[in-house]
Amino acid sequence: MRILMIALLGGLLPAGVLFAQNSDVPASKATADQITDDLKDGRKVAGMCRTCHGLDGKARIPIAPHIGGETVDYLMAQLHAFKSGEREHEMMTVVARGLSAAQIRDVATWFNHFDVVTTLPAGKTEDDAPELCVGCHGVNGISDLPDAPNLAGETNIYIETQIKAFRTGKRKHDVMTPIAKDLTDAEMQQASDWYSQINIKITDPSEK
Amino acid sequence: MNKRLIGATIALVLSGTAHAQAPAPDNLEKLSNFQSTGTTEFTVIEQGGDYAAGIKKTLDGITLPPGFKIGLYAIVPDARHIAVGPQGVVVFVGTRKDKVWSVTDRNKDRVADEVKDFAPSLRFAIPNGPCFSPDGMLYIAEQNRVLTFPAAEFFYESPDVAAFNVIKQGDLIPPAEESYNHTARVCKIGPDGKLYISLGQPFNVSPPEKLDLYRDHGIGGIIRINTDGTEREVYTYGVRNSVGHDFHPETGELWWTDNQVDGMGDEIPPGEINHQTAAGQHFGHPWYGGGDVRTNEYAGQDVPYDVVMPAVETVAHAADLGMSFYTGKMFPAKYKNAIFSAQHGSWNRTTPVGARVMVTFIDAEGNASIEPFAEGWIDENDEYLGRPVDVAQLRDGSIIVSDDLAGALYRIWYEGN
Repeated sequence: MRILMIALLGGLLPAGVLFAQNSDVPASKATADQITDDLKDGRKVAGMCRTCHGLDGKARIPIAPHIGGETVDYLMAQLHAFKSGEREHEMMTVVARGLSAAQIRDVATWFNHFDVVTTLPAGKTEDDAPELCVGCHGVNGISDLPDAPNLAGETNIYIETQIKAFRTGKRKHDVMTPIAKDLTDAEMQQASDWYSQINIKITDPSEK
Repeated sequence: MNKRLIGATIALVLSGTAHAQAPAPDNLEKLSNFQSTGTTEFTVIEQGGDYAAGIKKTLDGITLPPGFKIGLYAIVPDARHIAVGPQGVVVFVGTRKDKVWSVTDRNKDRVADEVKDFAPSLRFAIPNGPCFSPDGMLYIAEQNRVLTFPAAEFFYESPDVAAFNVIKQGDLIPPAEESYNHTARVCKIGPDGKLYISLGQPFNVSPPEKLDLYRDHGIGGIIRINTDGTEREVYTYGVRNSVGHDFHPETGELWWTDNQVDGMGDEIPPGEINHQTAAGQHFGHPWYGGGDVRTNEYAGQDVPYDVVMPAVETVAHAADLGMSFYTGKMFPAKYKNAIFSAQHGSWNRTTPVGARVMVTFIDAEGNASIEPFAEGWIDENDEYLGRPVDVAQLRDGSIIVSDDLAGALYRIWYEGN
């Protein structure tokens, strides 16, 4: 199942269609100089994110996810989805509507450049992780896939809210929609609790 | 509290819940039958230490009117709305996560000694809003359930408490309408003995296709019910997202704060404190975005209701949340029956505003005027050092303020000069 899911996602990745619409070079292939400039510009844009997500991407309110260290692809895809109305949130829709494609790339680059270190809660081992989720979201909630978000340390109710959104069609994703529809409430709570209990530390590697 | 009184209270609850529906399939069922759940562990929050020292340093920079002092009362993670036990034993504090905290000041030095989770055998979901009835019943309004805990100031010592449904899981709003944002419910018991509960609507501006459904359920409104969950009615219409209300100590009328529309600019629309004088009044959302500012989405459309304008317009985007009328004897006379309210602070204004405690004076004609009372939680770099959420009064007449960014309760008292 795990292998199947990764294969499935691998096939989906060119769904970075959003990149294709931009004339900009994809951030993942940008040169080092461009990244430095993007970071400066991204930090400026991040000023409007920091009350909720923190300037370092560690959320300051429970309803907002941690985005420090998230992949550029995922962050850009979500911001474009909020901007287009494909994904809706009372606050994020307002914010994303006002962002240009360049600002979206810059702010995604800013939040991506942080490092995340995780610690499992005391008394838990990797074997306790929810089997269905670890293939994409990792045992510790750090994803190896550009299209799957990190879940480490998110509030359990945030994770449940997203799963329910996939169930009801408010969010759509080729992998998550069918998974969410098959989950029982107990499985959903168990998975959400697992990832919410992982401690995270977010650091800025350029400040080392 | 003596045991006879507790027995009487529980008997009251049991008879009262006869109407209520089947308990949710979790530990609530066991607790409703006074059975043990096997839960033995509390989460206890360390008080003092470096974390407390950091908060105290912030409080050194808070300005107040002459004669008032502020101090750290307790470290309470994610502290949201506050319910002070009528016996003065425990203060209960809600969160937007899955915990409710019980805070006790055992030695009565006006600083809490113990903070631990309340009813750890229950799985709460956004238990933001605790409130008490005068006879010691604790109510907790969650995302989509309302629970009651008889004699909570007595039972809180045990991991297993007596707990009952007032509105069972899934019946407060249709589950398909659940959201995480705008779901910080608050409750209070009115002078009529009914339970008033705010229900925020989840959008920036409610879309037309949702209006009928929301009106039926009181989403984007305030509902009231009997304390056994019966006779639900929508008391208030046309609310965007109210996260604070209280009843005037003399008139018994409901006053409440409302958070207004985003994305219209830094200076509009104003935030609101509203004054409701009759059941069923409409306060303008979604046709009005705050004050008399019309929303872009409904611009130029006829407003199908008579709309009550706010009693107080507050600075745009400051996020007015919890509020309480002051009835204590400690503060100078001019504060009698004034409203203390918390501004959480703006989230997307170019320069942040709010993050302070406000006071609203109401004159004999009912005219209200607002001014800052405690401020200094925004530093010189426009960074939040704290974000006040709610204000409640202790029995000695001092007030406590919750802060969900610092994760703390502060106490403000009057010493004179």
